[in-house]
Formats: sequence, structure tokens, C-alpha cells
Amino acid sequence: MTRVKESVMKCIFALCALMSIGAVIAICVFIFANGIPAIREIGVWQFLSGRVWKPSVNIYGIFPMIIASLYVTAGAIIVGVAPGVLTAVFLLKYCPARLRKPMHTAINLLAGIPSIVYGFFALMVIVPLIGEVFYTGGKGILTASLLLGIMILPTIINTAYSFLKAVPDMYFEGSLALGATRERSIFFAMFPAASSGVLSGIILGVGRAIGETMAVVMVAGNQAVMPGSVLSGARTLTANIVLEMSYAAGLHRGALVGTAVVLFVFILIINLCFSAIKQKKA
Amino acid sequence: MKKFISVLTVTVLMAVLFCSCGGKYTAGSTARGEITVVSREEGSGTRDAFVELAQIVDEDENDITYDGAEITNSTSVMLTTVKGNKRAIGYVSLGSMSDDVKALSIDGTEATAENIKSGSYKIARPFNVCYKEDTLSGAAEDFLSFVMSEEGQAIIEKEGYIKNDTAAEYEPMDNIGGKVVIAGSTSVAPVMEIIADEYKSKHKDITIEIQQTGSSAGISSAIEGVCDLGMSSRDLKEDESVKLKSDKLAMDGIAVIVNKSNALTDISSETVRKIFSGEITDWSQAEDK
Repeated sequence: MTRVKESVMKCIFALCALMSIGAVIAICVFIFANGIPAIREIGVWQFLSGRVWKPSVNIYGIFPMIIASLYVTAGAIIVGVAPGVLTAVFLLKYCPARLRKPMHTAINLLAGIPSIVYGFFALMVIVPLIGEVFYTGGKGILTASLLLGIMILPTIINTAYSFLKAVPDMYFEGSLALGATRERSIFFAMFPAASSGVLSGIILGVGRAIGETMAVVMVAGNQAVMPGSVLSGARTLTANIVLEMSYAAGLHRGALVGTAVVLFVFILIINLCFSAIKQKKA
Repeated sequence: MKKFISVLTVTVLMAVLFCSCGGKYTAGSTARGEITVVSREEGSGTRDAFVELAQIVDEDENDITYDGAEITNSTSVMLTTVKGNKRAIGYVSLGSMSDDVKALSIDGTEATAENIKSGSYKIARPFNVCYKEDTLSGAAEDFLSFVMSEEGQAIIEKEGYIKNDTAAEYEPMDNIGGKVVIAGSTSVAPVMEIIADEYKSKHKDITIEIQQTGSSAGISSAIEGVCDLGMSSRDLKEDESVKLKSDKLAMDGIAVIVNKSNALTDISSETVRKIFSGEITDWSQAEDK
């Protein structure tokens, strides 16, 4: 009887596991099957390096979007990584015990805010601020970077925190015993030991930043042209898809799915990097 | 060192605060500097109509909206952007107009219901229903008379569109039933759905199916007899109007909007065209007088 129960349960567990794998495979098949023919029709090189996106006259080049996605993500890293990692250090070594819990709650809450709410916040607060300071419209790469920098904070803080915490206490204490200051002990004894963890936190942050859609579409300006500076507007890959998908038909629709293919490849590369770093550690 | 950093931080914060307050008191003057053009995404019905009505097209009728225009896919982001940016210009359907922004007069004509009705405000489009008069089913005829009645027109007005003046009392027909298929414009469909819901509450035995296919597709399926009623957010072309009868159920205006601090109240249609096609990029060039 127990055997039967056991094998039934085994099947249920296996089915559940298959569900997620099945979903990934289904998504892969869908976007590649729909995207690749369109990319072929447009021409791979034309599609990837074309600088003009004009669906109304059937010109599809997503180079500006690729660049915009990279710029915005890089900006988010510049804005978000240092505060994120330092927050983790603060939580671990400097934070008064009774502050730690509220801090953690606040950070987790930050992670749980829907991105559309972030988007509206940025639209109402960051956009006018940037607009006044730099005398522009306020929407653009800089604004999107600031916003994404805030959005990836929880990911970076939580990963960095757990990896720093996993570093054995003797590293820190040994360093202190040798006469190093707290700061030195943290940055030169603990950090090297946790570096892969901190790095993977950053990579997860990159993944979140490059895939973010709803918030970015509200503050990036969405011009489908090459961005001239950090203040000029730009359309990311995700924004391109969400803006035009609802009306697109035929080749236009195919080109948007093709954009998704490119995005998917980016995410794949990021995840490979992530597991490579993890492997190196193990 | 620590003291220096805190002093620096405070200075920077103050500077930011000053900058952000500095420009706010320019109400009463035309905006200066680069124009922030805000447009809708390619394929949006509002954009299509605006581009066509404001003539932002080249000789081949292709959309030539400025490359550097900000693009948004929602009316609320459009309104918030223009509300928060003194140098912005954009457009919304008059049904979605809000007090947070200012609608400009075009060539001296205000964007009001009266001016759209009289035809003097040019950036307006009709919402039409078209059908074959001789083969119209009883149920479709009854629904149509409901749409055109005072009750139906009241819904249209409530939704922010401009109603038709020729509304009559609605008299329900007896002994009708079946299905009414309506197809066409995605702009007309939302208000049509609300009217259909109201209608269905009166006639339990009639089902109404609304398909959003776009104006041209709606008209051609009405010609082919695939649907009972076609919805169109443009006037019928000559060859179409031979085959179908069309009734104007409402008008929808598109308002050109700017920030409230912008002193500009009137703009020529030529300037609108130049701004949205990128010929003019600075507010100093946008003043007509």
C-alpha cells in the first residue's frame, strides 16, 4: 500500500516538475518558430544592424533597441550595484539589531512592488526632476537607469547579503585579530570569499533590468532612433514589443516576435554566465 | 573628511532643489526651448486619425511623425507626461480630455463639442454605423434605432463623445430575436459595447456580437453581408457609400494638448503639422504671432 502511494506521489511530483520544463520548452518553440521565419524574411543582418524601424513602410531594424537595452541596463548597474552591495554590508555588520528586521521587511517590500507602480512613481517624480535639472523632456536613458537601479536593489542586496553571511566568521575575526580595521576586514577578507555570490547578484540584477517592461515603457521616451546621449529617449527591446504588439499583423508581428528572440538570447547568455560563475565556485 | 562629504551632499541636494523649483514660476509665458513631442504608438487608432486629419503625411499618405517624438501606448501616460512637462505637446481623444492639461485652439477654433458639431474644428472624426438597408434584419434595425435614440445617445455623451442631435424616442419593436453581428473600428467598439450591454438588459432574447476588426474590414464585411452592422471611424468612400447606407452615431474630436503653464492658446494647423513632423523643434518657432 505504501509502495503504491509512494509511486503515485512520485508521479505527481514528476508531473509538477515537468510542467515548468514544459512551459520553458513551449515558450522556446513558440518564439523561435514565429520569430525565425520573420527574421529570415527581413534578413538577419538587416534585422540586427538596421538602424531604422518603420513598420508602416516595412523597414525593420532593431539595432537602436539593442543599444538602448544595453545602455539602460548598464546605467542600472552603475546606479544600483554600489548602494546594493553596501546595503548588504551594512545589514550584516553595521546595522543595530533592532533595525535589521524592519530593514529586511522594507527591502522585501521593495521587491514586491509591481513594476507598473514603479513606472508611475518615476513618471510623476523622477521624470519632472530630471526634466528640470537638465532642461529636457525628462524621459530618457538616465531616467530609466535611475528607476531600474532602484528596482534591482532588492535582488542585489538579498543575494549579496546571503553570500556574505555564508562566509565563515573566522575570516572576519581572523582579519580583525591581525589588526585590520572592520572596513578592511570586510572588503579584503570577506569580499574575495563572497565575490562569486556578489557577482551572481549583479548578474541577476542585469537579468531583471534587461527584461523590465512596464516601468521602462513609461519613462524611456520610446523613440525608435539611436540615442544621442544619456538624456535622450530610447526604446528598449521589451518596450518595442509591448508598444506595438496589440496592432501588429503579418511581417510586423513577426518582427516583434523576432525582437523577443533577440531578448531571449540575451537572457540565455546572462543565465549561462550566472551558472558558469556558480560552477566555478563549486 | 566625513564633514566634507556631508557638506558636499547637502550642497548637491540644495542645488537640485533649487533647480527643480527654479523653472516653475514661468506661467504666463510661452514655453521656451526644445519641444517635447509626444505621440502614440504606430497602429493606434488615435494616431492614425490624428496623422490623417492633421496632415502629418507625405505625398504618398505615409505617416511622417517626427523620429524624435516620445511614444506612449496609453492615454494616461500621455496626459501625465504633458501635465509634468512644460515643453510638451501631445494629443488625446476629446473623450479622455482632463483638466490637468490645456487643449489648444486650432486656427482660432476651440476644441469644443459645439465646434466639432458645426464642423469648424477640423481634427474630428465621425463614428459611423453602416449597413445594407434592404436586407437589414429586424433585430439589427431595432438595435440601430436604440443606438440613435435619446437613450443610446445619452450613453455616447456620457462616454465623452459628441452625440448626434437628431435623436428620437426609442420604440422597441415586437416579436424580434436572434443575433446581431457588429464588426469594425476599434475606436467605436468600446462605446458600442456599453450601448449593447444596456440594450441587452432590455432584450433578453437578442444576442449581440461585437468584433474589433478595424474600420475598413468592418465596412467590407458589411458589404459582403458577413456582419449586420459595420462600425467605422471614418467617412465612407464613394464606392462604399453606393453599396451601404451609413448613419453617423457620434463625433470624436482629437485635442492637441500642452502643459497648463504654456501661455500658447492658439496654434495654426500648419504649425501643428510642422511640430509633429519634426520641421519645428523649438517653441520659439512655434509662435504664429
